[in-house]
Amino acid sequence: MTRGARTTQRMLAIDPTPRGFGFVVLEGPNRLVDWGVKDVRTNKEAATLKKVHELIGLYRPDVLVTEDCDDRSSRRGPRVQALIRKLQAEAARLNVKSRPVSIWRAHAAFAITGKANKYRIAEAICGRFPELALRRPRLRKPWMSEDERQAVFDAVTFGLTQLVHLRGS
Amino acid sequence: MAGKLPNYLRAHRKRAGLSQAEVARLLGCRDGAKVSRYEHFRREPTLRTALTCEMIFQKPVRDLFAGISEQVERDARRRAKFLARRIAARTQSPAVVRKIVVLRGIADPPPEDLRYEPVKEV
Repeated sequence: MTRGARTTQRMLAIDPTPRGFGFVVLEGPNRLVDWGVKDVRTNKEAATLKKVHELIGLYRPDVLVTEDCDDRSSRRGPRVQALIRKLQAEAARLNVKSRPVSIWRAHAAFAITGKANKYRIAEAICGRFPELALRRPRLRKPWMSEDERQAVFDAVTFGLTQLVHLRGS
Repeated sequence: MAGKLPNYLRAHRKRAGLSQAEVARLLGCRDGAKVSRYEHFRREPTLRTALTCEMIFQKPVRDLFAGISEQVERDARRRAKFLARRIAARTQSPAVVRKIVVLRGIADPPPEDLRYEPVKEV
């Protein structure tokens, strides 16, 4: 397969949150197919797996992109770590390749343009996908917990980082 | 890529900031259920609906319904190839030759950049 074709594969990126997960479906670096936050309050693991299964069934992605929990830069709790591993196993069962992306690599990819923190990265993402601008969370103060919409931007960050990795630039 | 999706209505609807109920209203439906079925690829829209979608989202039908469009093109090409072969087996009159040229043009179209485009009037 040519390098160009590899970068236009359909990609589902998932970012779990304490109350569900954020997701995006990308077709190449400039086409956002779907995005959103799924709310999961009870029986979190089973419900999340079910919803991701539905998304995979609907969009038939080539790749599932998640955070790399084994990397030292990951600060995920045991529940989310186990959930991400189960998501990867589910993807493998459905013949979808899974590609973990470390936080370190994601931030490094965006640091090229001088955007290194989550707020700056979200700003850069809104520049590329203006349709997400309305969902951009406000600048987080130290006493505020993270806005759940941030999960969408984190998922886009992982997806774009994976694309940057494929392109090698 | 695993092929294009049957349609990209959801992406365009969300980009436009419209709800399913609002799009349904524009399409002349009672509620958003039908729009949801289109978005989940459980139902194919009628020509009237497809043209209304083109008008709402300001995108050509072949972009909005890229997967369906690709499939229709593939099927039509296969049929044209079959028909050209069948006609070519018959006697070769100028009318038949003309038909074969047309059918081969459908079956193996020139690359996108060499296709005829009408000259825009100034």
